[in-house]
Amino acid sequence: MEPADELLNDQASLELDADPMRLNMGPSHPAMHGTIRMVMDLDGENLVNLDVQPGYLHRGFEKSCERGTWAQVFPYADRLNYVSPMLNNVGWSLAVEKLLGIEVPERCQYYRVVLGELSRIADHFTCNGASAMELGAFTPFLWLLKVRDWVWDILERETGARMTHSFGRIGGMAAPPTPNFKDDVRQLIPELFKVVKETEIMLLRNRIFLDRMQGVGVLTKEQALSYGCTGPVARSTGIPYDVRKDHPYLVYDRFDFDVPIGEDGDNWDRFMVRLEEIRQSIRIIEQALEQMPDDGPVNVDDPRIVYPDKQDVYTTIEATIAHFKLVMEGLRVPKGEVYSFTEGGNGELGFHIVSDGSGTPYRVRVRPPCWYNLAAAREMLLGGMIADIIPTFGSVNMIGGECDR
Amino acid sequence: MPKFTLDGKEISFEPGETVMQAAWREGIEIPHYCWHPGLSIAANCRMCLVQVESGRQMAMPQLAFDESKGEYVPSTKPKLQPACQLAAADEMVVSSTNDEVKAAQASVQEFLLLNHPVDCPICDQAGECKLQDYYYEHQGSLKRKLTEPVHKPKGVRFGPTIVYDAERCIMCTRCIRVCDEVAKDHVLDMRERGNKNEIILAPGRELDHKYTLMTEHVCPVGALTSSDFRFKARVWFLKSGEGVCTGCATGCNTHVDYDPRYGKVYRLRPRDNQDVNQFWMCDDGMMTYTRQATDRVLTATSGRGEDRLPLAEREAIAKAAEQLSSVDASKLAIVLSAQNTTEDNLALAKLGSALGAERLYLAALGGWEGDDILRSDDNNPNRAGASLAAGGAALKPVSELIADVQSGEVQGVLALGWASAEKLEELAPLVSLDAVVSLTSHVGALPAAAEVVIPIADIFEIEGSFINAQGMAQSFRGVLSAPADIEPGWQKIGELAKALGKDLGFTNLDGLRKGLSDAAEAAQ
Repeated sequence: MEPADELLNDQASLELDADPMRLNMGPSHPAMHGTIRMVMDLDGENLVNLDVQPGYLHRGFEKSCERGTWAQVFPYADRLNYVSPMLNNVGWSLAVEKLLGIEVPERCQYYRVVLGELSRIADHFTCNGASAMELGAFTPFLWLLKVRDWVWDILERETGARMTHSFGRIGGMAAPPTPNFKDDVRQLIPELFKVVKETEIMLLRNRIFLDRMQGVGVLTKEQALSYGCTGPVARSTGIPYDVRKDHPYLVYDRFDFDVPIGEDGDNWDRFMVRLEEIRQSIRIIEQALEQMPDDGPVNVDDPRIVYPDKQDVYTTIEATIAHFKLVMEGLRVPKGEVYSFTEGGNGELGFHIVSDGSGTPYRVRVRPPCWYNLAAAREMLLGGMIADIIPTFGSVNMIGGECDR
Repeated sequence: MPKFTLDGKEISFEPGETVMQAAWREGIEIPHYCWHPGLSIAANCRMCLVQVESGRQMAMPQLAFDESKGEYVPSTKPKLQPACQLAAADEMVVSSTNDEVKAAQASVQEFLLLNHPVDCPICDQAGECKLQDYYYEHQGSLKRKLTEPVHKPKGVRFGPTIVYDAERCIMCTRCIRVCDEVAKDHVLDMRERGNKNEIILAPGRELDHKYTLMTEHVCPVGALTSSDFRFKARVWFLKSGEGVCTGCATGCNTHVDYDPRYGKVYRLRPRDNQDVNQFWMCDDGMMTYTRQATDRVLTATSGRGEDRLPLAEREAIAKAAEQLSSVDASKLAIVLSAQNTTEDNLALAKLGSALGAERLYLAALGGWEGDDILRSDDNNPNRAGASLAAGGAALKPVSELIADVQSGEVQGVLALGWASAEKLEELAPLVSLDAVVSLTSHVGALPAAAEVVIPIADIFEIEGSFINAQGMAQSFRGVLSAPADIEPGWQKIGELAKALGKDLGFTNLDGLRKGLSDAAEAAQ
């Protein structure tokens, strides 16, 4: 006879422990994508207390920036939010350009907008697809990743890399748009609309999906504000804050687009806000392609900021010196500090940079949107059930690279 | 003191000073090529043009493009003046950054690069070149002249130490002036003008005086390169430390440029010190860096000639102690070294007095050809320091040591350093003694005559000080770490003292130096 049975026989009843059970989830757990750890106190299946512990993907991004040149930060910026790296690239470019006091040519501004919005679409497809998959709906996931690949095909043709492009440059982009760029994007747009529609058909009337999403992981407007949430998480609670609209950068003030907001701040609203943002991004892309000049320079005309043409570097001393200086010492950014912010995939992505006038950043501080959204995740999860962690954490779309830096 | 204003900053000056000189003293650099604080004024590069904004404006006629008329019309522009030649005047207002000046700087820079070869990737100056710095700071435009550049001689051998590249030369004449004014030897001059301008040697001469490397040092571009440093290292991999030249008793201050990856010194550069060497150093001094990597003693040895065998460090100390203690203190010679630091010498002198040995000698190189510029007749950096370490006692030369050994008055020798004027043959009497111990960083006649040799660290690897011929103590810090198991001389002497059962009363450099100040007071 097993000891437990003996115990039963002796006392005729088994007393279960009434204290909450402490359970670890992550950092190595398939649902804790982005490498995060949650320490939960469970009463049965209910969460009575929760400690969200980020930091497992800390790679010293900000410190690493202090040893290279300003231009060498781009690969690091790629690896912040690696689901929408182009938005980070452009964010970093704009921050350094703000300190330099330069503005890139118009063609480049449109180019940055289109590539950035494509990145945002890829980001939202990934997040929504993963949310659905984690609730058991595998088909929408594959459906959405299929179009993400089409988006990435375009980004690959433009930048040479599917994911970590390192394509931004201070004062421009690494290369001008390819000749087929506009046609490629225009061809893709109907497909994007189609897949968004199909996703709605697949998911929005699915009982299981609705039950797991609606009324789950609620964040109030007040909580969102007090935690400093931005992006889809804040907009789902009804805060209409979008950097592109409220503090327009690049040429965003020339486009007609809406900022979708939710009402309840639950998983459902976050899902729907992202889905609608894909539509709005497509609207922006359509207008940008219309307005974008086909000719003209992409980079600013200053060999002290942008690498001169290779042909010139090999044949003239001026370009050789400019190249040498840019490579060996880095372009020199005037002394000062600046905070520059853009709308990243998850909200306000800010770079606070300090320059001592040399070719190397003196200090770089990133405001990662995830960090604040993740802080609010505890409020969303407390009082819920352990299984709700999966869709809620998924809809926060925490990206470890950006959150932990 | 009278004052003038430069770019909104008040600068006071001595009457007679130029704007450039006064600004330089305040730590403000007005861009320049040909001006050097230690040389006469040439005002030929035109890079330091500034505008005097006070007083009556001088205007120059020019043709300016008028866009409304679509043609060139007569106008005027302010007359700019070279800051290096412009005498500062009270209440003068000078601008080195206004639009007119900036345009002039950009134009001068563009002219200087007009025929410059695309040499940065193969030029030793790249990374510390003023053409590069000023291009980035003051020009920043691409080439407008698309015709073939003018070609001139490249790789011209000026002498045993200097190679000249006329295409890179900007004709600032600094090298000519350094020969004329520092070396007092008019061996360089320039010929032709305009595109054909180049630096030439005096007929029948080579650039072979004692200060040839200074021409390379003052060259603001890559036109003059030293044959020693040429193609050896890229300057951005080098780090720089501060040192004192070991060449002679002048004690010129140096920048020691070393590559931290290989732990190797690549060159010395003079470090400005108006009380010692102004801006300069002699060729032989510049080349003393080569000692760091050549002829080093890296392991302890014992035995002589072909019987010399490596020995473990601890055994060497034990053996040295055994041999020294076998000799009566009155017959033990302590040989200080004019090539080693005051600290090393002091530690050895302390050991000598702890043992009761009163016979103090000094090993030194035998002198070289001095001059009245920088070079001292005494090519030992620290004769004064050694004599201070001995407490001012008279130090007998090594020639007397040889005589004393021959007469049997000395039966044991404890010697510091590698340097001696005497060759090994002359030191033959020492070879017949058993108890001869040498603490040395390099090979030499003294270590070769010793029974036990204990390695110590080189000058570039230790902290210490020299006292020069003027009586100035100049301290320096080591820039490199010593090879494995090798320690500074004073530390090794401490170990040896311990093995001999003596306490010298110091455990670190500060403790030792405290003794040094006592010794200095005692000497006074």
